[in-house]
Amino acid sequence: MNLAIEAESVVKIFGSIHALDGLSFYVKPREIFGLIGPNGAGKTTALRIVSTLLKPTSGSVKVLGRDVVNQASEIRGLISYLPEEAGAYKNLSGYEYLEFMAKFTIEDKQLIRETVEAAAKISGLEERLKDKVKTYSKGMKRRLLVARALMTKPKLAVLDEPTSGLDVLHSVHVRGIIKQYVEKEGVTVLLSSHNMLEVEHLCDKVALINKGKMVAEGSPAELKKEANASNLEEVFAKVVGFG
Amino acid sequence: MVKDLFNIIVKEVKELVRDPTLILGMIIVPLILFPLMGFAMQTSMKTAEESMRNISIAVIDLDKGSVAENLTNFLITLNVRIVEVDDSNLTEAVNYVQQSNLTGLIVIPSDFSNNITEGSKAELDVYTVFRGGGIAESTSSSAISALLETFEERLVFQKIGEKFPEDPETVLDPIKTSEKSIIKGKSVDVNPGVLFGLMMSQSIGMPIGIMMLLMFAMQLAATSVASEKEEKTLETLLTLPINRFTILAGKLTGSIIVAVMGAIAYIVGFNYYMSSFMGVIPAETGVDLAAIGFAPTPISYLLLGISLFVSLISALALAVSISIFAEDVKGAQALVGPLSMLLIFPMIFMMFTDIYALPFPLMIVLFAIPFTHPMLASKVAFTGDYLTAVIGIVYVSIFTIAVLYIAARLFGTEKILTAKLKFKWLRRRRRMPAEEP
Ligand SMILES: Nc1ncnc2c1ncn2[C@@H]1O[C@H](COP(=O)(O)OP(=O)(O)OP(=O)(O)O)[C@@H](O)[C@H]1O
Ligand SMILES: [Mg+2]
Repeated sequence: MNLAIEAESVVKIFGSIHALDGLSFYVKPREIFGLIGPNGAGKTTALRIVSTLLKPTSGSVKVLGRDVVNQASEIRGLISYLPEEAGAYKNLSGYEYLEFMAKFTIEDKQLIRETVEAAAKISGLEERLKDKVKTYSKGMKRRLLVARALMTKPKLAVLDEPTSGLDVLHSVHVRGIIKQYVEKEGVTVLLSSHNMLEVEHLCDKVALINKGKMVAEGSPAELKKEANASNLEEVFAKVVGFG
Repeated sequence: MVKDLFNIIVKEVKELVRDPTLILGMIIVPLILFPLMGFAMQTSMKTAEESMRNISIAVIDLDKGSVAENLTNFLITLNVRIVEVDDSNLTEAVNYVQQSNLTGLIVIPSDFSNNITEGSKAELDVYTVFRGGGIAESTSSSAISALLETFEERLVFQKIGEKFPEDPETVLDPIKTSEKSIIKGKSVDVNPGVLFGLMMSQSIGMPIGIMMLLMFAMQLAATSVASEKEEKTLETLLTLPINRFTILAGKLTGSIIVAVMGAIAYIVGFNYYMSSFMGVIPAETGVDLAAIGFAPTPISYLLLGISLFVSLISALALAVSISIFAEDVKGAQALVGPLSMLLIFPMIFMMFTDIYALPFPLMIVLFAIPFTHPMLASKVAFTGDYLTAVIGIVYVSIFTIAVLYIAARLFGTEKILTAKLKFKWLRRRRRMPAEEP
């Protein structure tokens, strides 16, 4: 079976900082794969390399069978990326923003309309979609962007802390949507998160990274068993520790 | 590709046009500020005229002779208010002139009439009150000497009239010249001074307009790139299946569209401003410019258009490449700001000098600045020098392609995400005054 992502001993160096230090991980199609780790572990850097925004200093990354350096533009047609810190064009309305984004991947006018309607449902913003983005709260903006990332049903969705800033109800809603898109539309998801509860419920497989290196990998159940812990937070604390 | 480009252009224009600060700059400045400036200009010129009419001069007459009396009477016939001042104390008189808002003071020495009737040089002391630097002040300060010159002419006329009673005027001014101009090998019955004034009034606006258009467009392009960073939309945009060059082209085109809209507003406002105090020149002279080959031909219009267009693109590409290094809109504008020197520098030379008369090194510097060329092209209509315009277009095009190439390369690498020039020194300086109390 072809892998959705093959990351092979990836190194990324910014000046003197080794953000990734020989990281390898493999994601199967239709899998929800979670990257967890402390601040500065290299999660965002890894997701940006997968999304073709950054080039690895060394090592190789294949996304849906294509090389991130040489076939970047092909990959861009197949994935969608939700940045950790992202905004939308503040002088456009929510609808205009979704339509603007949809037009790049979809040709058919009717299909564009349907896609935008689907996004409207995902976001749960309803009437507020007619307002300009600059009038949205942080969480509303985040919901708009999550909807944008999923609405086109990409082969791979790369979501950097998708529920950060969302209230409990909307976090639950977004997780449900992610699961639904994986099951019904065959989307593969690579996400990062600081919410261990979310990771435990959502992810089929988790990679715990620290200082740019993999420190533990497996399904949430496997990780818990291995570390002899009752939940992922305990696993995290045991494996990473302080210092 | 074309669809994506169109999609981006529409979004750019929407974003820019809906930006309240931008609309402020596009409407308030040209459509309100310019007319206000014109109004201020007119008002100050009117007050200048009025103050010319109400001139009051203090006179200390130590002479009391006939010529001195003639002088004061002459001034009175010209509607000048004369205030006779006590002759004993100059310091007091000066103080009085200042206090009572008079234009100035004339001191007539005791031997004044005597010297003039005997044919030797007489002297007058003239004091003008210096009150400030406005137009009204400068005209009133020259008013007294102008009045005295008229009086002097009368004296000369009288003296000549005594010796040549038949036709003193011809003795004073024995040659009558009638000045004509040669334009493009044909003689035209117009004074060259008038033509020069006409040309100035027509071509002085062009460099200013060009400079404003380019500056405005540069600020727009820089803003549109930097706001993608500031609003954190760039990362998403760069992972979309669009050619990076398409993104760049969309941004440039969007900026051009909005800049042209702004330029039209500027031209309307600026025209109003210019016409409010110098628009009357062409109408009065009654010269048909087109008939004497002095108006722009279709070719010169075309050349100017092309020249403007390539310069616009080069200015935008320059602004975009530079703003890639900025982290936010403020940073981008700080980076683009110094570029405006490249516009102001040629504009000033274009407006006030002949570029070919400048020292050679300076001329080379000016020609190397791409934005000199559209301003030069705006003069082609008058000089008929098409070759210069064409060479300029070729030069600016090469420059533009080079800059566009660099901009596209920068846009294609991860530099656009990781290059972060922080304006630490700028921020620190801005914060300093607030920290003092
Ligand atoms: N553009 C950059 N220039 C320099 N260093 C960078 C850059 N981007 C990331 N880094 C560094 O790389 C390391 C990994 O950063 P990264 O953002 O991947 O961490 P993260 O795991 O996403 O952390 P967080 O949980 O805080 O989001 C950090 O030490 C960071 O300082
Ligand atoms: Mg991160």
